[in-house]
Amino acid sequence: MEATIEVRGLRKSYGPTVAVDGLSFSVQPGQVTGFVGPNGAGKSTTMRVLLGLDTPDEGEALVGGRRYRELRAPLCQVGAMLDAAAFHPGRRARDHLLWMAHSNGLPAKRVDEVLDLVGLTSVARRQVGGFSLGMRQRLGIAGALLGDPPMLIFDEPVNGLDPEGIMWIRNLLRWLAGQGRAVLVSSHLMSELEDSADHLVVIGRGKLIADTSVRELLDRAANGRVAVRTAQRHEAMTVLSIAGATVAATGPDSVTVSGLPVERIVTLLTEGGVSFSGISEHRPSLEEAYMELTQHAVEFHATAGQVRSWS
Amino acid sequence: MRHALHAEWTKLRTLPSNLWLALAIAVFTVAATAASTAAVSTAQCPTPLTCFEDTAKLSLKGVWLGQAIVVVLAVLVMSNEYGTGMIRTTLAAIPRRHTVLLTKAAVIVATVFAAGTLGVLGSLAIGGVIMPINGFNPANGYQPLSLLDGPTFRAAAGSVLYLTLIALLALGISAAVRDTAFSITAVLTLLYVVPVVSTFVKDPEWLDRLRRFSPMTAGLAIQATRDLDRLPIGPWPGLGVLAGYAAAAMLLGGVLFVMRRA
Amino acid sequence: MVMTTPYRSSVQNPRDGFVQLMLAEWTKLRSVPRWSLTMLGGILVTILSGMLLAGGAGSASSGGDGATRGISPQYRDAGNYVHRVLTGDGSIVARVASQKNNDPWAKGGLMLRADAKPGAPYAALMITPGHGVRLQANFVTDIPGSSSQAPRWLKLTRTGISVTGFESADGATWTKIGTVELEGLGDQAEVGVFVASPDALQLQRQFGGEDIVENTNLGEATFDNVKVEPAKPQQLPPWRGDIKPVAPDATSFHLVGAGDIAFYHYATDSTKTMLTGAMFGMMAIVALAVLYVTSEYQQGLIWTTFTASPRRGRVLAARAVVLGGVTFVLGLVAAFGTFLLASPMVRKGNAAPATLSDPQVLRAVVGTAALLAVVAVFSLAIASILRRSAAAITVVLLLLLAPLVAGSALPLAVAKWLERLTPSAGFAIQQTLERYDTAIAPLPGLAVLCAYTAVALGFAIWRIGRQDA
Ligand SMILES: Nc1ncnc2c1ncn2[C@@H]1O[C@H](COP(=O)(O)OP(=O)(O)OP(=O)(O)O)[C@@H](O)[C@H]1O
Ligand SMILES: [Mg+2]
Repeated sequence: MEATIEVRGLRKSYGPTVAVDGLSFSVQPGQVTGFVGPNGAGKSTTMRVLLGLDTPDEGEALVGGRRYRELRAPLCQVGAMLDAAAFHPGRRARDHLLWMAHSNGLPAKRVDEVLDLVGLTSVARRQVGGFSLGMRQRLGIAGALLGDPPMLIFDEPVNGLDPEGIMWIRNLLRWLAGQGRAVLVSSHLMSELEDSADHLVVIGRGKLIADTSVRELLDRAANGRVAVRTAQRHEAMTVLSIAGATVAATGPDSVTVSGLPVERIVTLLTEGGVSFSGISEHRPSLEEAYMELTQHAVEFHATAGQVRSWS
Repeated sequence: MRHALHAEWTKLRTLPSNLWLALAIAVFTVAATAASTAAVSTAQCPTPLTCFEDTAKLSLKGVWLGQAIVVVLAVLVMSNEYGTGMIRTTLAAIPRRHTVLLTKAAVIVATVFAAGTLGVLGSLAIGGVIMPINGFNPANGYQPLSLLDGPTFRAAAGSVLYLTLIALLALGISAAVRDTAFSITAVLTLLYVVPVVSTFVKDPEWLDRLRRFSPMTAGLAIQATRDLDRLPIGPWPGLGVLAGYAAAAMLLGGVLFVMRRA
Repeated sequence: MVMTTPYRSSVQNPRDGFVQLMLAEWTKLRSVPRWSLTMLGGILVTILSGMLLAGGAGSASSGGDGATRGISPQYRDAGNYVHRVLTGDGSIVARVASQKNNDPWAKGGLMLRADAKPGAPYAALMITPGHGVRLQANFVTDIPGSSSQAPRWLKLTRTGISVTGFESADGATWTKIGTVELEGLGDQAEVGVFVASPDALQLQRQFGGEDIVENTNLGEATFDNVKVEPAKPQQLPPWRGDIKPVAPDATSFHLVGAGDIAFYHYATDSTKTMLTGAMFGMMAIVALAVLYVTSEYQQGLIWTTFTASPRRGRVLAARAVVLGGVTFVLGLVAAFGTFLLASPMVRKGNAAPATLSDPQVLRAVVGTAALLAVVAVFSLAIASILRRSAAAITVVLLLLLAPLVAGSALPLAVAKWLERLTPSAGFAIQQTLERYDTAIAPLPGLAVLCAYTAVALGFAIWRIGRQDA
């Protein structure tokens, strides 16, 4: 069985709200696939359908080539963490994992193994009600890893974590993918996926916006742009625009220029008497690339609110 | 205090389920009255003239069912906030806890008072239609019920008071217990199970005590309009017993609510 | 694209059968301390209230003065009986010359019984003011004869264990009424004439209790031409009974007597009384069963449950089995505990203490555990359908209790129908005696509750697979 997660022509609406609208993408093993979109884009809905919790109106969602509800001992094939709060507050952490293990006939020693893996061994016998958000998040991940599954689905695993926690999750995701598992991680902030995702599925309003590898996305977003640092922002913009470049202000003392090579820009600025303190090829962050991308998705643009701009 | 009251009222009003529950109080009361009055007729008495049925009480009978919804409404006002964690928001906005509890009590009392009045008036109306058909008519010596009649008015107004006291009892218990399921169970057990179980008590002294001190049987004495001397407890003292329970529950709930962390 | 060998789970032989599901659900159930406490509290409350109720029931000495010592409270075996021993087959004849009409069921006539002790097998042929001539046996058999009144000739004939009743207007032409068989009738039997009369009973049902007031009601009848005719010649011993000494060959008697010999419909069911405490335990169990389900929905845990076990109907079934099983076991502890601790308190004042060797009593005790288990599953099913604690609890409690609460204030016939048709029919399993207010027999009553439960559970299972979690 190939450990691929696949969504084909998925549509799901709740009453009048269309949560997912004709979505198709696939998640390959061996890499971390980021699943990005703003609040309400339909990420959680897609994941719930993948896990057989909600029934799609159209299309299908397959894990390892099959519908989730047809899986036997599903915890050994797909691990999932949907909601960090989903524990009974009165139950001890270990008991929570224990009933999950029992339900799929997993040995109790797996419970101790995953507790160790997520670093909760010392609090395993405490009631979950007293756990911090980070501890709950770890317990949720422990539950996902219980069956040592080849496919993993995490819904916003870094939500509410401190920087150290975020680092931990990033490393964990990379480690899991490195073992050859398919990992699908959702987030509404692109920056959270920086350094961890290999591939990105971007959705907005339930529709696919991009299905691309991270490198490709960054290359496309850079698109031969040049960043210029200058105290005379206004003058610089005038000079360069006259020469036919597209100029955008990106901060109080920086502009981004596209349509002109670096050498030409240097010449133009020097000739125009505009002083500048630095000039370099633009390296977009994932966040910027995302913004770039979503700018083109017009209908999404309307719901996503304004894109930050300094001009 | 005024702002707190306004805030509580807004919370209550904006949750659609509360409106349905309030309506259900009236509907259940009227429906149960209709069913009880339909089931009782002078044909079951030796002769129609010797029925000795308390017609006012009979047409207020539905209150015993309507109170279940009152309990749900009053419990949820408190326990829902614990269930959803909203209690922290509430206490952040209004840190004086006794104010929170008192304002909750006020809006609940107002709501139940309105819904209860509706239910009681509806009951009297439907009883007034059904009972004469079943033989409780002037021909058999039963005058139509009128709110201008002192005891009937006392029974009707007392029934509304009864419902509001039940609401306070439930609110107090839920402030103490916090959990929806346990609070509702506790109050409904106190109201319904105690009288059902006391059916099995044969010791006359204990039976008498149970009838006088179980909140529902005591409180509903307010509905009696005839043979008052044969009641285990008089109308007003009976309602007083229920008021005692409500006060004790509110006190207990209040103390725990103020002392406990959210 | 990164290519790696597909990852394989290191877990060997995972299984997600029904047994695994049950184990998982049991782990869930036992691992929330608050729930365990609720269960234990339910047991304790059941036993304690059972003891209190038993104390309260006992001190009224179960059903007043009319109770007959040594026999089941279901029967009354009293009255005035003048009798002598008849060995072997034979018959007794008498004319009931007159009878006082103090009750439609006042009795005056002939009786043959195994011995004079209360509860002995008997056959009685009698005239009643309101119901004519009757041949009755062992409290339950009742064969109507003509609707004649005194004076009337009566004859009882014994052949082996068969006793046949005849009536006649003139003592010459006899009409057979019927034959009854008395198991355990020995060679020697008591034969004689008797007078009995039910107590005058005032019943007041009202909310939160019933009041039964019984007043002694004297029956009176005159007999003449009383003759015992043995099949084998024998010396008949003297007449005995509550009369002034009479001549051995006396043929006329005037008897006055109180108390009845009949099935008694107003007896206190002391077993049911003490087991009624289970109603408090039941409340705890309803709350627990509802929470067991709704807390998962409230906390979103239901997603974890259904990702671990996507076949939802089976999850629900496993839950029902586990919760039902646990409740049944705890219910047994509670019911037997109640019986063992509470019945000594009843015994103090009771004519016939209930014992577990009585199949009715054993059924009521074990049935109480079954009742609790079925109610738990019923609550679980309703909670799975409604998903909200408040709604589920209210619906379950109203379905179980409202018929009982409403019933005590409604006309008896309506109350009985309410109890037959609603889930509260299940409480019938706790009764050991048949009473005037018995709505339904024990097992059919429990079956009604089971039917409701099956329908609710079936609907819940059907729907849970079709709904978004
Ligand atoms: N159970 C439901 N009932 C009704 N509407 C729902 C339900 N679940 C989701 N929706 C709606 O579907 C849309 C998509 O929601 P979804 O939770 O999938 O978004 P998301 O991408 O996960 O958002 P977020 O980043 O905020 O988690 C939203 O408009 C939401 O209101
Ligand atoms: Mg989401």
